[in-house]
Amino acid sequence: MEPLQLTAEQSPLLFLELLYKLRVRDVMAKDLVTIARSATMRDLKRLMQERKVSGVPVVENKRLYGIVSIEDLIQALEKNRMDAPVSEFMAPNAVTVEENMPLSIVMSYFNKYDYRRFPVLNASNEPVGIITARSINSRLLMELFRELARIENQYVLPVDDNATCYFKTYRIQKADFDNAGKASTEIKNVLRDRGIAAKTIRRVAIAAYELEINLAVHSDGGTLTFRADEDEIQIVSKDQGPGIADVSLAMKEGWTTANEWVKAMGFGAGMGLPNAKRVADEFHIASALGVGTNVTARFILPKAVPTPPASLPTAAVPGA
Amino acid sequence: MKLSELLQAVEAEVLWSDPAHDATDVANVISSDLMSDVLMMDAEQPLLLSSLVSDQSLRTANVVGAVALVVANGKIPPPNMVELAQELGITLARTEMAKFEASVALGKALGR
Repeated sequence: MEPLQLTAEQSPLLFLELLYKLRVRDVMAKDLVTIARSATMRDLKRLMQERKVSGVPVVENKRLYGIVSIEDLIQALEKNRMDAPVSEFMAPNAVTVEENMPLSIVMSYFNKYDYRRFPVLNASNEPVGIITARSINSRLLMELFRELARIENQYVLPVDDNATCYFKTYRIQKADFDNAGKASTEIKNVLRDRGIAAKTIRRVAIAAYELEINLAVHSDGGTLTFRADEDEIQIVSKDQGPGIADVSLAMKEGWTTANEWVKAMGFGAGMGLPNAKRVADEFHIASALGVGTNVTARFILPKAVPTPPASLPTAAVPGA
Repeated sequence: MKLSELLQAVEAEVLWSDPAHDATDVANVISSDLMSDVLMMDAEQPLLLSSLVSDQSLRTANVVGAVALVVANGKIPPPNMVELAQELGITLARTEMAKFEASVALGKALGR
C-alpha cells in the first residue's frame, strides 16, 4: 500500500484537529468477530464468508492470542490444511492499539506496519473492537462532510449587482420563530431588485417562506439556499434531521405533525409542502428518517423576448 | 377602493402607513388567522384581516404581496411589529371590531 502522506506541515489545521480529536473507540468497528484457537481453518473460512470480514482476532476468555487473516487462509488452502487449528496459521504477536489512542497515531501505524487491521484493546487488555482502513475512511469522510457543510453554511458569496447569478445560503435554527421568514423577505427583495415579474416573485416567496417555516418548525435546523440565474430560480431546503417517515403522507394536504404551539402561530395546517409544490414549476423532495430532508423548488423564468428586427415597420403610437 | 377608505370602513387605528399607500386601489380582502391558508390564496394586492398578532402575520402579508394588515378583535400589536411593518413597507392598522364584523364592513365597502 502507498504510504499515507500526512505531515503536520502540509495538512490543513482542521484536518489535523480532527485526527487528534477522534479516538480509536470513535472509529473502530465494535461488533467484533472472533474465533477460538482450536477452531479449524475451515471454520474460519465459513466465518469470513458469513460475516464478510477479511481478518479475525483469535480470542478466548477476553484474551487476544493473535490474528488470522485471509492471507493465512490462502496458505492453508494451498497446503490443503483446512482442518488444521487456527492456532497453527495465526500471527501470534498481533500489533494492537488502545481504544483511547488518537486516530493520528493509528494512521501512522498503517504506514509503519504492513497490516490492514489492528485489534483494539481496552485498559484491561481485553479486545473490544477492530480498526481497518475502511472504518477510518468512513468515519473521516463523515466528519469531513459535517465540517464542510458547516463551512459552506458560513460562506456567503459576495453580492455583485452586475452578476448574472445570485447565490445565498441562510442558516435556519430549530424553533426560531423570531427570525423565521427573514430569509424569505430578503429573497423577495433581491428578486424585486432583479426586475423579476411580480407574479413570479410571489410564487418564489411563498415556496421560500413555506420551506423556511418548515425548517424552523420540523427540522433540527438546516439551510435554505436561494439561487437566481437568468433563466431560473431555485430554492433548496436542507436539514440534518429528523427526516420524514412517509413523504407521500407529508405531501398530502392537511396532513400534519405540528404541535399546538406551532398551530397557535398560524401554521401547521399541513399545507406547507403541498403549497410549495403548487407554486413551483418543478418540485423534488427526498427524505430519510435519521438522516434529513432535501427539498428543491424550481421556477423557470420566461426567456427574454427577442427584439424585433429593425426592418419591421413600427406602429405609430398615439400621443407619442 | 382606496386603502384609506377601507381602513375608515373598519374604524381602524393606523399604527404605521406609507402615505403612498393611502391611494392604492384594493379590491381583495383575505380574512384568516391561519397563515397556511393565506399562503394558498391567489389574490392580487390584498388587505389581510387577521386576529393573529405575530411577526409571522406580517411576514405572510409580505410574501403574498398584501398592502396592509388589519388586526381585528381589539388586539394591540407590540412595538416590534410596528417596526417590522415599516421595514416591510406594509400598512399596519388595528380595529376594535371583531373579525366577523370587520369582514362584513369591508365586504359592504367593496360592494360585495
